Amino acid sequence: MKKNFLLCLRPCLLRLLCACAALALCSSVNSLQAAPGVGPVLLSNNDSTRAVAVESVTLKSEPFTPNQIVPFSADNRTRIIIFAMNLDTIAGEGVNAFSADAEAVVNGATTRYTLNVEYMSPVPGFEGITEFIVRLNDQMPADMGDVLIRLNLHGMASNRVRVAIGHVGGGPTDDQGAVPTPAPQTPPAPIPAPAQNPYTDPALAAGGDGVRFLEQATWGPTSSDLAHVRSVGFRAYLNEQFAAAPVGSTNYPTLNLFPTDTEVGCSATDYPVLAERTMCFRDNYSMYPLQIMFFQNARNGQDQLRQRVAYALHKILIVSGRDLNNQPAWVAPYLQVFDRNAFGNFRQILMDVTLNPGMGEYLDMRGNSRVSPNENYAREILQLFSVGVDSLNADGTPKLDANGNRISTYDQATITNFARVFTGWNLSPNKTWTNPKTGATAPVPNYIDSMALSNNTSTYDTASKTLLNGQVLPAITAGQDLRQYKTAELNAAIDNIFNNPNTGPFIAKALISQLVTSNPSPAYVQRVAAAFNDNGAGVRGDMKAAITAILLDPESRGDVKSDPNYGHLREPVLLTTNLLRAFNATTDGNISNNGTRFGLLLDMGQDLFNPPTVFSYFPADYQVPGTSALFGPEFGILSTTTTFKRANFINALVLANSGNGFLPITPPIAGNPASSDRPTGTKIDYSAYQAMAGNPAQLVDALNQLLMHGTMSQAMKNSIVTNVTNVTNANPDWRAQTAIYLIASSSQYQVQR
Amino acid sequence: MAQSRRKFLQQTGCALTGAALVASLDQLNLISAMAQTSDVASDYRALVCIFLSGGNDCNNTIIPLDSEYNSYSSVRSTAQLALSQQVLLPISPISGRQFGLHPNLSPEVANPTTTFKGLLDLWNQQKLAVLCNVGTLVQPLTRTQYQSGTGRPYQLFSHSDQVAQQQASISNNPSQTGWGGRVADFTGALNGIVPLPMNVSVAGTSLFATGQTSRQLAISPAPTSLNQVLVLNMFGGTLSDQQARRNTFAQLLGFDLDRALIKASSDTTNQALSTSAALSSSQQDVVTAFPNTSLGNQLKQVARLMKFRDTLGMKRQIFFCTLGGFDTHTQQTGSSPTSTAGGAAGSGNQGSLLFQLSTAMRAFYDETVAQNIQNNVVTFTLSDFGRTFQPSGSGSGTVGSDHAWGNHAFIMGGAIHGGDFYGKYPTLALGGPDDTDNRGRWIPSTSIDQYAATLATWYGLAQSDLPTVFPFLSRFPSSNLGFLG
Repeated sequence: MKKNFLLCLRPCLLRLLCACAALALCSSVNSLQAAPGVGPVLLSNNDSTRAVAVESVTLKSEPFTPNQIVPFSADNRTRIIIFAMNLDTIAGEGVNAFSADAEAVVNGATTRYTLNVEYMSPVPGFEGITEFIVRLNDQMPADMGDVLIRLNLHGMASNRVRVAIGHVGGGPTDDQGAVPTPAPQTPPAPIPAPAQNPYTDPALAAGGDGVRFLEQATWGPTSSDLAHVRSVGFRAYLNEQFAAAPVGSTNYPTLNLFPTDTEVGCSATDYPVLAERTMCFRDNYSMYPLQIMFFQNARNGQDQLRQRVAYALHKILIVSGRDLNNQPAWVAPYLQVFDRNAFGNFRQILMDVTLNPGMGEYLDMRGNSRVSPNENYAREILQLFSVGVDSLNADGTPKLDANGNRISTYDQATITNFARVFTGWNLSPNKTWTNPKTGATAPVPNYIDSMALSNNTSTYDTASKTLLNGQVLPAITAGQDLRQYKTAELNAAIDNIFNNPNTGPFIAKALISQLVTSNPSPAYVQRVAAAFNDNGAGVRGDMKAAITAILLDPESRGDVKSDPNYGHLREPVLLTTNLLRAFNATTDGNISNNGTRFGLLLDMGQDLFNPPTVFSYFPADYQVPGTSALFGPEFGILSTTTTFKRANFINALVLANSGNGFLPITPPIAGNPASSDRPTGTKIDYSAYQAMAGNPAQLVDALNQLLMHGTMSQAMKNSIVTNVTNVTNANPDWRAQTAIYLIASSSQYQVQR
Repeated sequence: MAQSRRKFLQQTGCALTGAALVASLDQLNLISAMAQTSDVASDYRALVCIFLSGGNDCNNTIIPLDSEYNSYSSVRSTAQLALSQQVLLPISPISGRQFGLHPNLSPEVANPTTTFKGLLDLWNQQKLAVLCNVGTLVQPLTRTQYQSGTGRPYQLFSHSDQVAQQQASISNNPSQTGWGGRVADFTGALNGIVPLPMNVSVAGTSLFATGQTSRQLAISPAPTSLNQVLVLNMFGGTLSDQQARRNTFAQLLGFDLDRALIKASSDTTNQALSTSAALSSSQQDVVTAFPNTSLGNQLKQVARLMKFRDTLGMKRQIFFCTLGGFDTHTQQTGSSPTSTAGGAAGSGNQGSLLFQLSTAMRAFYDETVAQNIQNNVVTFTLSDFGRTFQPSGSGSGTVGSDHAWGNHAFIMGGAIHGGDFYGKYPTLALGGPDDTDNRGRWIPSTSIDQYAATLATWYGLAQSDLPTVFPFLSRFPSSNLGFLG
């Protein structure tokens, strides 16, 4: 379809060239300089913001009809050509780096439509100017009047130009300050696309991007980290982080295994005092110990990037405490897998997770037998942990068949075959639990060591299996050792998944979406997937290479991003850690205002390490209602209820209790201070802002730099300054607290751009 | 004129419930003027969706008690997944045959002293119906067609995709809207101008309740009281400081709306702000005792909102609840199927969930009787998918079932033609005419579109709007399955 379309286009371009040269390209004295970090410039007429635009086949000018009378393409939808310059592309970058949208007024409501960018090419003879072919959205009404069209590259938006659909006139008003953007009298020379910036120069971190980088690579900027990244630069910072170790050997030390039965582990006989028994439950049958560790690590740990990546991996390759009997000792070894391998190789992550006893329990690989093998793990390792349901192009977009339908990566038969591979494995031999109260011992299931092949060899499926892409694993041969066969087969199956071409773009997109933006351009996904596929030394699955590619990319870097679709909503965990770190908080890790293990994060819809299903805390493919089909996973847990809970959390942290945050609680058991759910409380340090209390504008500006990397709009600034100026409380911290509350509870902050 | 007014209200009325979204007073007045009383419904009607998350195993929910019981036990008993005939609750649908319900669908039969009763009384009073083997379809489908690879829904057997299709009633591609939301898009005029959105979820944000223009109100379940579900705290400072801060908080929601995700977040907060006032007054509580369970507390909150309906002026409401945990790959059954406890020694994971389901539904029905709206409320179940007839794994503790397709649904309410089965009960045979392959994944004989359209028609969706709300409906033989109206 597209091929024919392009074949038709080529001869047309010759005519187009003349038309453009005469009409627009050479008619202006206005000169626009190409500059990095500035969005593309869409060309308009000399004296208005009306686009230089023609229908792609007939070269007719506006108004355009959404469908063609003569079907030039299979879908009969109109494509138009628009022109742009000042394109800050890097070498090798093509049309999939660009996105476009059109804003219209439909039935009185402002509506935004995505426009697929299908083709780009320098205009022959005017190589500094590029033509783009965009396809009008299927949802557009036939006669909507003027629309405003925009082109985005690397998270930077162009100016918006007017295009008429149906008739000329009407539509949205021009953007504030919009001016005609005709081509300069002397057409710009072609700009050779440079190689990607190595991001070694510390000066690149001097502005807002220093803060943005730390929002993406850490649990939130601190003043000391900011000073450091600004002194060493992005790349050196990453390399330091790759070498940084957790305190001790891991962020989640192995905990004592307890019996499965809570009535045995925390019996009323052993714990006659109710408060003490409650503590036994808290420490051995709830996620509390791990949640406490998590927030202490996030607030204080030096291995920030490792923690961010490990947590991102946890959210992709999910195990939930609620299905592991709520036993933290069962979950800790699973968290250690990511702690250990965050900067290792993805194949090792797949293998370690597959044999992790917690995963074995969670998705039923443990004890799986060749008699009607359980399909649970087979399905989810493919669907969620590695390749996904749709066959993908190298840039993460779905491959389409001749009818425009997506193509499945696998079918039910593939699942059944993988289920047969995942048979024969079970927990390693039991461990021993020593009752801390009585010294008595009892065997408990082994949730520490990797699973091992069961002694019951009748559970092994040893027939041949057909895996992804038709790869056949042979049946066992006569005389072959059973265990050796099953081990080799598991390795081959993990290789089959790991080497599938989908795995790179699938994991790239999942990680980008967690660290940077929910709607990355396909070109960005492609660059990260390429680094995943080959780290430059022929190694596939190198996490360091993938992470570097994510964080040192023109789409993630830059002081400001103007693409309207850029960024992602901070999930409750990120919202919390960013505030604690931004304001140098002291915390015991118990982020709740009621002093128990049932914390506010739960209110906000995110019960840490207890995600509701294998689809994580929120679905990776959640589309945000009311948008042009934008992805926004974190919006899956943003509701009318949780949006207030977020604001109330910030109110409790910043303003309630006179700004003392979450107060410590007197230990409920006399003489046992460690038993308190909240020994020290959590409190923000406002001292850096006391001196600014007399100057609200300065105060708000400082917070703007720290929390929003200087992107706060003037309207928002004015509103907050006015409010802060009118605060009556004489406490010098009070103005800072008010301003922090207003910024932190705003959508402008909660959506990290 | 009447038509254009209706269209206008469809397009703007629903969005208006988030009144803060509509800044212009002129526009408000215009809509008020156009909201003629003739459009507003005179009666009250509500749909209550209970989503059984994870995929309920229909094969252990409703079991044939005639000669086909042997087909069931021969496949399931070796692996210890079969329920014995003795524990099943016998029912005789009007249309014929003998079936047995899982014992925990009416726990009072085996345990007369239990606090909460289940659904058997309602079946006997013909207030409960069963829709057999319903599921996601893009066209009517035979085993031969399925095996040739044509006409299949997108990504069968995958939780996320099948959940979305059940809630969207669009099974060929991911959809951004749910069918409850689209029904609300087209029936907003029946409510006129009201302070709440038509759609309310007590289970977080759902695709089901998301429309093109309709947005859902998501509130916490009981025990949180209704006047506490949407409270924005402004602690700290003087009262005037607090008021000023609240005003600024609201003002910031109006800025930077050209950023798509900022706008989406602010829209949600705006809706919470504009609704919280309507819910802030204290209300009478329900009179029926609800089980203190996840679903019991969700349905209790729904019943409280229903009791508040006249004060709020609500004429049409769609509610969404969920009960999770049905993904029973293992530990589906236990050694004591009539036990109300779960686990290996009890009725297993499915047994305890069906206990929770039936007792919560029954309490909810009783409360609608107390409110005298039992004929105005229809409660129905959806689930990801059914589960394989052939067990997965074997032996105590490890036995369960895998993801499958067609499933049975329960429909409850005074207006239901109950005591009967609708649709076609599948042939319980591995590799049989209803099986996709050889593990017993039933090819649905009725589509979710038909099921939803029947409910939506009773609710008040115009026949002329059916093709828009359910774009695949016309591919199926009937748009009304007959269990209502």
